Amino acid sequence: MSKQYDIVVVGAGNAGLSAALHCASEGKKVLLIEQHNLPGGCATSFVRGRFEFEPSLHELCDIGTAEDPGEIRQMMEEYGVKVDWKPVPDCFRIISQYTDGSPMDVTMPSGKEAFIEQMEVYVPGSRAKMEEYFELLEETMAGTAYISASNGHADSKVLKEKFPNLLRTGSYPVKKVWDAIKLPKKCQDIMSTYWGYLGVDMTRMAFIHYCNMFMKYVTRAAYIPAHTSHEISNAMVERFRELGGEFWFNCRAEEFLFNGDRLCGVKTSMGVVECKYALANINPDIIYAKMMPKELVPEREKKLSAARNHNYSARMYTVYVGLNKTAEELGIHDYCIFLAGTSDSAKEYRDILGGYETNNFTIFLCNNIANPQASPPGTSVGFFTSMGNAEEWGDLSQEDYVALKNKYAKKFIRLLKERAGIDIAPYIEEICVASPWTFARYLGTPEGSVYGFETAEWDGMMARMMMLGSDYPIKGLRPIGAAGPRGDGYSSAYVCGRLMARLALKDLREEGGEH
Amino acid sequence: MAVNVKVGLIGALDMLKFKNMSKVREAAIQAAPAKEITADYPINQKAKALHPDYQKLVVSKIINHTGAGAKTFVLESADDSPLAYFRAGQYLSLKLKLGDSVLSRPYSISSAPKDALAGRYELTVRANPGGFAADRLLEDAKVGDIFFASAPQGNFYYEELRDPKNILALAGGSGITPFLSMARAIIDGTEDFNLTILFGSRTEDQILFKGELAELTRNDKIHVIHVLSDEEKPGFEHGFLTAELVNKYAPEDYSLFICGPEAMYRFLDAELEKLALPRKNVRRELLGVTKNIAAHPEFPASAKGMSYTITVRQGPRETAVSAIAEEPILVALERAGLTVPSRCRSGECGWCRSKVIAGEFFVPPENESRRYADKTSGYIHPCATFPLSDMVLEVPGEYVGE
Ligand SMILES: Cc1cc2nc3c(=O)[nH]c(=O)nc-3n(C[C@H](O)[C@H](O)[C@H](O)COP(=O)(O)OP(=O)(O)OC[C@H]3O[C@@H](n4cnc5c(N)ncnc54)[C@H](O)[C@@H]3O)c2cc1C
Ligand code: FES
Repeated sequence: MSKQYDIVVVGAGNAGLSAALHCASEGKKVLLIEQHNLPGGCATSFVRGRFEFEPSLHELCDIGTAEDPGEIRQMMEEYGVKVDWKPVPDCFRIISQYTDGSPMDVTMPSGKEAFIEQMEVYVPGSRAKMEEYFELLEETMAGTAYISASNGHADSKVLKEKFPNLLRTGSYPVKKVWDAIKLPKKCQDIMSTYWGYLGVDMTRMAFIHYCNMFMKYVTRAAYIPAHTSHEISNAMVERFRELGGEFWFNCRAEEFLFNGDRLCGVKTSMGVVECKYALANINPDIIYAKMMPKELVPEREKKLSAARNHNYSARMYTVYVGLNKTAEELGIHDYCIFLAGTSDSAKEYRDILGGYETNNFTIFLCNNIANPQASPPGTSVGFFTSMGNAEEWGDLSQEDYVALKNKYAKKFIRLLKERAGIDIAPYIEEICVASPWTFARYLGTPEGSVYGFETAEWDGMMARMMMLGSDYPIKGLRPIGAAGPRGDGYSSAYVCGRLMARLALKDLREEGGEH
Repeated sequence: MAVNVKVGLIGALDMLKFKNMSKVREAAIQAAPAKEITADYPINQKAKALHPDYQKLVVSKIINHTGAGAKTFVLESADDSPLAYFRAGQYLSLKLKLGDSVLSRPYSISSAPKDALAGRYELTVRANPGGFAADRLLEDAKVGDIFFASAPQGNFYYEELRDPKNILALAGGSGITPFLSMARAIIDGTEDFNLTILFGSRTEDQILFKGELAELTRNDKIHVIHVLSDEEKPGFEHGFLTAELVNKYAPEDYSLFICGPEAMYRFLDAELEKLALPRKNVRRELLGVTKNIAAHPEFPASAKGMSYTITVRQGPRETAVSAIAEEPILVALERAGLTVPSRCRSGECGWCRSKVIAGEFFVPPENESRRYADKTSGYIHPCATFPLSDMVLEVPGEYVGE
């Protein structure tokens, strides 16, 4: 005898947790299953010796202050999830090269005024342009909010009247817009820094997408939880239980089961569960190729997958370090230092994907700067992030695996020393290197990518949002997560999970009405 | 409106372009061929091969170490899957079915990582007083027996990014096994560091791998000093592994790697204090959990001799299990025949992480390795947690099955 649920959420990544919480809040009987023994997917932690490491989160956007909460703080409050949020002091420090070849070492604060002010210091005479630029950003943000709220039915008259600049810029890549408004080159170079958070360079990223992220980070500042992102995931699970949700850890979904062309259950490693609807925190390529009958995959979905051509984004590479000296003692004063080869993001992206020889890009983050309690007294904790490519890591053998991981680690530790003057090597008490293999293992994502499909060109966020009704037309099953319309990132995944859960409940209501 | 942005050549077309985003997207989709969707990624396949859910192994040979009271089990793949590669010093968690219980034990791999590529692991098991599983293995296991094992686990290995070139190993009894693997890896070129082993045994006759070790020390990166506790003999150090001995043999700039029985760890605590090494230079293999929790200074006296019922929820199943205060919760679950996750059995790896829905418990501070948020929201590692009342527990599933 199998159990019967309204909704089964497969995978407790950020999107899965959010979806499960939404459905449980709406009084549905929900089962959440996760193949690992931890919730969160990327949003987790691990312990080595006396350190607890944050594996992924640099900064969470859209938290905002208690008085002026952002979307994610509000969502967590609505869910009844309590998290001890700590603000991140600055936007970023970047050590790189301007596109004219001169050296760049700038630290940008958060807050609109402070950001413009500091830009004026680095790029004298930029103030007027920056103010104008922020006006454009604000209009674009407001317009996006209007479009989102209209659930795909935005009134073009309203758009034309209220948000004309959104319409003029929205479909263009960031770089085009910057050039069109004649933003000084050096400002462009500095503001290119964030490209890595979306995994698309400035020549191909839609302005509207960039604008959303940039504004959230700069005007609302960024936050992190006091006790790693595992604190958020755990708090979400606790609340989910309180709401009557059931959670099975170490339980893998193997196959989605159908009655005709409508989903009726999930075959899992713990047996078959019956349900009316499944939300899967899994890349659609995997769902279609491995987890459901081939004859039920619609032609258009095959075309969509072929058009994307396995263009997965951000196969992550990270090095976690527990250090036996304080940040102060080590001369670390910045939360997040971007070490880049160039501020030409298109070139940088190519160089990263070129593999070991050309990849000179890493972000070094020290958790203690935002949160002095991130590690025991007298120590500090942090991590390097970069990306890998499918061939270098795909062609690798088991015997050569550790050597490649360590070769990259040595390079990044050296870059930090040479370029930022911070020498951590003698103080490493714990170290742990994660590669695309590691992320593939723990998340099951294609090639260990964590940003889903690249949100570039024809497949940008706005276009995906506009076509919510056409993608993934499987009855009773919706994929959720970074591969979804909102793209990558914690906040996007939380929002995507809730959005898809809402649509699922709407589907159920409408189906119910038909009977 | 202060700003009036024009990006394209003709501003008016931009509006259309915006509205057309979905048309453009649909056209890109329709232009692609409707071919079969694939999701076979080399990266995922290799990650899976390196970290399989479990490995099905068959005993292909048993080597007797008479005198040392130990046996080496040579294990090969029992299906077509190749064995997972590992880092010298890592262990396998073996699932054992003994009577009605399904339990696991971690054993360091004593063979070289290269042997795994050739399809072979070696585990060396030594009899230990009151050792339930070890004794069963030594008496009953025979060639042809099938075992399920985890992928290689653990963080007890040389790490060039952290460790100095010189490792001073303190080994006691079967604690020699990870160092044997390291020495073998140095010889075949997999690893590159200098290894000096202070190896404690009772008597010369009881030295495990004496011949192999002598052979290995022909390589000038490897040194072995035998320390006999129950015998005084020329050519051997006498007594326990002490700070004094460490200082006598310590190379310049070294890390201490320690692996041995509970009593040895206990003894070494005071010695380590004398050495005053930075924490980064001291690494200990799994501690296990004390067999005598009743003697633990922080264990509540009132719990001694108590027995409780633990209601265990695992996926769709619910089982009532009887438990006693002096035994880790994991042992009670295993005794009841439940297949539950476990690997390190020391509280360290977190694989057994479970949620306490109701009930009181005790975690020995030396085994405390839980995540911060877990501690504050009632998650425990049952392998290193003792029940202090009736409990309701939610336990994860385990992939090692059949
Ligand atoms: C190093 C790194 C740094 C990052 N930095 C940031 C940052 O600073 N800010 C930010 O906003 N974002 C950041 N991200 C990105 C962000 O973490 C991800 O984009 C986001 O978490 C993706 O969420 P998801 O919902 O797609 O879930 P995932 O994290 O992919 O989780 C999917 C879950 O589903 C489970 N699952 C999959 N298949 C099955 C199955 N068959 N059965 C059962 N369970 C299954 C997996 O085990 C996993 O738990 C970073 C990511 C990494 C790795
Ligand atoms: S088995 Fe490792 S913590 Fe319990």
